[in-house]
Amino acid sequence: MSDTEKPSRWARIPPVAKGAAAAAATAADTAGTAAASEAVGLRSARFRAEREGDWRALEALVTKVERGGPRSLNFADARSMATLYRQAATSLSVARAISLDRALLAYLEALVARSYLAVYAPQESIGQALGRFLQSGAPAAMRALWPFMLAGLGTLLLGLLTGWLLFLESEAWYDVVVPRGPGDPRGPEATREELLSVIYSGGGSALEELSAFAAFLFSNNARIAIFAFALGAFACLPTFILVFYQGLFLGAFVALHVDRGVGLDLFGWLSIHGVTELGAIIVAAGAGYAVGYGVLFPGRERRRAAMARMARPAVKAAIIAALMLFAAAILEGFGRQLVQETWIRLAIGWGIGALWLTWWAYGGRRA
Amino acid sequence: MSREGWWTRRRSRARARRQEARAAPRTVHQLVPPEGVPIGLNIASLGARFAAQFVDLLLTGLAGVALIIVLAALVDAPWSLVSALGALILFFIRTPYYVATELLWAGRTPGKRMMRLRVISADGRSLATYAIVLRNLMKEAEVFVPGTLLLIVGASDPISGSIMLGWIILVLAIPLFNRERQRLGDIIAQTVVVEEPEALLMPELAATRAARFTFQPHHLDHYGAYELQTLERVLRAAEQAGDTRHRARQDGTLAVIVQKIRARIDFSDPVTDADHQAFLQDFYAAQRQYLEARQLMGEKRADKHHRSAASPTRVEAGDAAER
Repeated sequence: MSDTEKPSRWARIPPVAKGAAAAAATAADTAGTAAASEAVGLRSARFRAEREGDWRALEALVTKVERGGPRSLNFADARSMATLYRQAATSLSVARAISLDRALLAYLEALVARSYLAVYAPQESIGQALGRFLQSGAPAAMRALWPFMLAGLGTLLLGLLTGWLLFLESEAWYDVVVPRGPGDPRGPEATREELLSVIYSGGGSALEELSAFAAFLFSNNARIAIFAFALGAFACLPTFILVFYQGLFLGAFVALHVDRGVGLDLFGWLSIHGVTELGAIIVAAGAGYAVGYGVLFPGRERRRAAMARMARPAVKAAIIAALMLFAAAILEGFGRQLVQETWIRLAIGWGIGALWLTWWAYGGRRA
Repeated sequence: MSREGWWTRRRSRARARRQEARAAPRTVHQLVPPEGVPIGLNIASLGARFAAQFVDLLLTGLAGVALIIVLAALVDAPWSLVSALGALILFFIRTPYYVATELLWAGRTPGKRMMRLRVISADGRSLATYAIVLRNLMKEAEVFVPGTLLLIVGASDPISGSIMLGWIILVLAIPLFNRERQRLGDIIAQTVVVEEPEALLMPELAATRAARFTFQPHHLDHYGAYELQTLERVLRAAEQAGDTRHRARQDGTLAVIVQKIRARIDFSDPVTDADHQAFLQDFYAAQRQYLEARQLMGEKRADKHHRSAASPTRVEAGDAAER
């Protein structure tokens, strides 16, 4: 077998590779060839002596890449590394067939593995990856997952409706559904003025109160979004419960304000960041549903493979959700306290919501 | 496929997996790169992974704490807000840190670099950006968010605290129950964490000098590849033996081996004490040449039991013909 692909075939190495091999072949190489001339009888020793220089050259190149990244190679080096890698892979294959030298097999296996890792390393830079994601990857994923996003929206609306109806049935439900911090005036006993004072609180101590509450709400929502995505793998059920509960809470909250006649003011207060923030929860839930769908209905694939396939766009949606949460935090931190007019609050909130939708609908589409 | 019950399919799949596991050692991940030559990489131990994780946590934690201190000094805000912002900052430092470093250094965070570990794609293809993002987002959901929650509400709310604790324990136990030591994020992203292979080319044992002992085919018919490679290991160790005490112990080992081999292969020429290593080297070279030639002709001899193992009639016939 080694006879058929001896010098004639190896002589066809491109000149570049040969140059690199010669450059990197050191004293060890010459020692190897000298020793081999004595052990001519051993076919596998001859095989090794003939190729050792190339292996050493490849090793030197791979070490260089491991230290300084692929950019540390010039064009000729990069080209010869690819050639030498393929030759080393062939050598490994041949050595497995003809050699019983354990040390040689271990060396070749490690060398090929190292070069494989160097050759097939991720090629993208962070900037490239980010640009591609924002321009085409993310909107395409959202378009691919739109039924799941609708399901997420539906879950939230269902919870909202249920919470509202529960509140209409008995105001006592409010304290069951809504977690209340100490000193939070908003409850079944609250008056219209108290509710309004929170919605339009401008500065001073109320700002501190509110920012703490906003931070709580944000971290709460971020958590819900993360879990809604991550737990989707468990057959969608945890996602449903989480988002439904979030809707329930919101429903009772809104119902209380509508009941006191401050519905529109609350709508403005919520809209400025809530459109983006609840949007994030919906997107995260949709991503979770997509993963769960792969688990529930794998079709002809194995469940693991189906889940991995659905996870591809779902991860992109989850990142969008994280971005939206970040945007919501900024809106919440600055916008809500600075902008006190309901109509402007509404315009900002829904305007940004429309921007998100436009991005998803048209981003990365070929005209 | 549809004719079989799911139970039958499951069992045959399990059998296939068991066979596969027998073929490859448990700690090696086999993959087939596009070149088509399968290679094996050692799966990283959980200890090394925890150590790498610890380094990374330390780095991100320090950066986060420094940022929070700067923030607290600059902004006159209540502690509750600062702590909430701190959790937020940690979240927005941590995941990007893992993603960016693994993308930049081909699957290695600084911690993994230190422990010589690397994330690879399980199927032998290039590690995709999305896989890196996915496995690190899952890390957030697996450990970090429940962990933070546990710290925040663990004391005040024992029920949700114990749920979080149970979740974390469950997630940390998942790598113990699969061969590739994958955590949940690895399974979903189809990645494996492996040790960096280290390539060290040892000198050729069979070619150091002209042979002093000669062996006949009937001397070489007793052993297989396993014994040959064990002998190789002993010889390499003997060559590297340094100080005199170590040396003496190695000489003792060699003497026993020489005695055993001579008895088994029926080698009658005298071998002096000084010649033990030379004898073994020559025997190694001759035995390897013999076995490799056999292997080229399609007869692999795994070990000294090769006679009883594979098609005894043919081997016996061959032996008879040689004699």
